[in-house]
Amino acid sequence: MKTKARTFIEEVHDSRYVLSQLVLQQLILRYRRTVLGYLWTLINPLLMMTVMALVFATLFKAELKTFAVFLFAGMIPWNFFSSVVTQSGSSFINNEALIKKIYLPKIIFPLSITFALLIDSVLSFLALSVIIMTIGGSLSWALIFIPISYLLLFFFALGVGLIMSVATVFFRDLQHVVLIAMQGLFFLTPILYRPDELMGNLVWFVRLNPVVPFIDLFRAPLYLASLPTSGVILESILISLSAMSLGLFVFLRQQRQIVFRL
Amino acid sequence: MSIIRVENLSIRFRIYHDRSPSLKSYFANLFKRKSQTTYSEFSAVNEVSFTISAGERVGIIGRNGAGKSTLLKALCRVYEPSDGEIAVDGRIAPLLEIGAGFHPEFTGRENIYLNGAILGYTKQQLIEIESEVVAFAELEEFIDTPVKYYSTGMYMRLAFSLATSMHPDILVLDEIFAGGDAAFLAKAKSRMYAMIDNANIMVMVSHDHQLVTSLCNRVIWIDHGKVEGDGLPEEIVGRYLGGKDLG
Repeated sequence: MKTKARTFIEEVHDSRYVLSQLVLQQLILRYRRTVLGYLWTLINPLLMMTVMALVFATLFKAELKTFAVFLFAGMIPWNFFSSVVTQSGSSFINNEALIKKIYLPKIIFPLSITFALLIDSVLSFLALSVIIMTIGGSLSWALIFIPISYLLLFFFALGVGLIMSVATVFFRDLQHVVLIAMQGLFFLTPILYRPDELMGNLVWFVRLNPVVPFIDLFRAPLYLASLPTSGVILESILISLSAMSLGLFVFLRQQRQIVFRL
Repeated sequence: MSIIRVENLSIRFRIYHDRSPSLKSYFANLFKRKSQTTYSEFSAVNEVSFTISAGERVGIIGRNGAGKSTLLKALCRVYEPSDGEIAVDGRIAPLLEIGAGFHPEFTGRENIYLNGAILGYTKQQLIEIESEVVAFAELEEFIDTPVKYYSTGMYMRLAFSLATSMHPDILVLDEIFAGGDAAFLAKAKSRMYAMIDNANIMVMVSHDHQLVTSLCNRVIWIDHGKVEGDGLPEEIVGRYLGGKDLG
């Protein structure tokens, strides 16, 4: 007698080809028939961050070069997290026609979104790194920690994404709520500012914000040229494990109901 | 040997009387003591039991909305049983609707791989059948054009050729589908029949009673989600058509 978990894992393993096709579909579609094609993945965040760096460096009277690196290190994990959470929300709804006609393991829909966004994120990370180096950033050995940062961030985002994907099927309002919530969370996450620059009642919110350690995972090697502190590493391992377990729990409990509620 | 065993299968849908519950009303209801049901349940399939063994060609007939397609979808695992059990032994091909999963922006060739993957082909299988699928669909010239520029006939031809190039143990069909001109239709029919002949078990839903009588050796008549008749094609189709004339 096979256990449920075992069958689930086997099923996901068996559908890795569909999964790769769905990831490919998303990567190709976004830029088909645009002149610059896939380059937009790199240009878009680059222009975005340049504008932000210029505006906020002036506003905060910070030195542009250091501030650009600081901002970039925070934006990379944030952009990935926030896109996974918002896009997973509509993953079942957008594939309604397919889900109602052919049986596929449901998890491949949010999973394919997370993989596609991870590829995007890694590519823009590489492009931005090159630019940072050319404007005078420094290489450090701490950069070898980045893959681990990505791994932890991936499971954290996937866990939250799984919850969102299921919850949105039941409560369609969430599609709109999540956009506003992410906007708010952005300002409660020390991306534009240093955590110690914050004062007043908001400090507590920021302290409880689960995204913060993941920002540190990227900021330490990129901006401070050092490994993240063991406290931060431990904290993010704990958070991503809990997010993933909770996500899987919600997902496995509700996955059979999804098709009835689309 | 393939076998399908269905025991006391029920599939129930919730019908919401006002609208799908919003987040607000969900939380509002959480704090209310009495739980008011704003939905009623509807059994599309109601305590259905049957066994289909190897070699059987089963036609499912019944009025619109009788639960035929829901039953087929349950066999293909799209709908999870609300009650009862389905045991399927053998590789089942989901041919409920061809072209499901086609992406209009993708070229014909890209869609062979995308849709093929969704239908359960492996990459190796797709590489092997690619040229045969293109040739059968007569789309050599247009295979690298996005399918949104295809005519309805071209689209149907490609979807049909791809869906029918597998050889499943259990073939599940929702109406015999084929589009295109007369020449293609003839070709498609013989391919379809070959596929049916090769399958260990075939289950089809159709409103074409002549087709059902000629292709099947057993007919199940479904009405209001229940089995109304199960037996030889002529007998059941006759009873079904007779009953229809009376009422």
